[in-house]
Amino acid sequence: MVLQIILLSGLVLFSVLAILLRDLIKSAISLALASLCLGIVFFQMKAPYAGVFEISVVAGLITVLFILTIALTKAEGEVRESKAAFIIFPLFFVAFLVLDILVMKGLMAKVPALPATPEPGGLKFGDVLWKQRTFDLVGQVLVILAGVFAVLALFRKRNKDE
Amino acid sequence: MSNTWLLYMAFAAGLLAVGVYCLLSMRNLIKLFIGIEVISKGVSLVLLATGFARGNVLLAQSLVITFIVVEVSLVATALAIIINITRHTKSLDVRKLTKLRG
Repeated sequence: MVLQIILLSGLVLFSVLAILLRDLIKSAISLALASLCLGIVFFQMKAPYAGVFEISVVAGLITVLFILTIALTKAEGEVRESKAAFIIFPLFFVAFLVLDILVMKGLMAKVPALPATPEPGGLKFGDVLWKQRTFDLVGQVLVILAGVFAVLALFRKRNKDE
Repeated sequence: MSNTWLLYMAFAAGLLAVGVYCLLSMRNLIKLFIGIEVISKGVSLVLLATGFARGNVLLAQSLVITFIVVEVSLVATALAIIINITRHTKSLDVRKLTKLRG
């Protein structure tokens, strides 16, 4: 449990750093570290497939895409963020944390334990993904295709007439 | 089990708050998108934590994986749009996207 709390705190801390750091590359790396923490939390929750996806795809692939975009847009110079955003953030975050803790403490006694509906023993992840969520897989394929076509359309070469 | 679930919810709410603050206060397009990513981390934490609390980890895992696939597609498209916007406006500043302003 202590490890979980440390990992979850790391997740929130790196997310905050990703937002507050002025250097975009450092922000992207902080985001990857946050993903890494989340992936380990997934492993702790006995969800290894989700953990592997989180670490390899989100911490790996998405970070590479972010760094690529930052490199491609670096020539345009930095954007000056408003100073108020950085000054107000600690106040906002502390106030939110206090509120969050108070609300969760209040709910602790009131929310009944979620009714557990355990999966039948011997059920494998593949069975759930391929048999119960078949329609999701079709959706995933369509979403990936939509993404590929969108990127192709956005980066197509323009004719001289256009 | 309920207390553990509430702990995860508390951290997920923190992530959501950080992401929403970023969306409301930042001006850099890439930073705004990092905010969306932070929110999506909170959402996947909520999905898996609820599955874990109810003893439905396998189903929650498959939902999280679907979510991650959708997220990757979204990121690729959005970053391509950001690169195109930067080529047109020569800046990453969201305040310069005023062409549609009436």
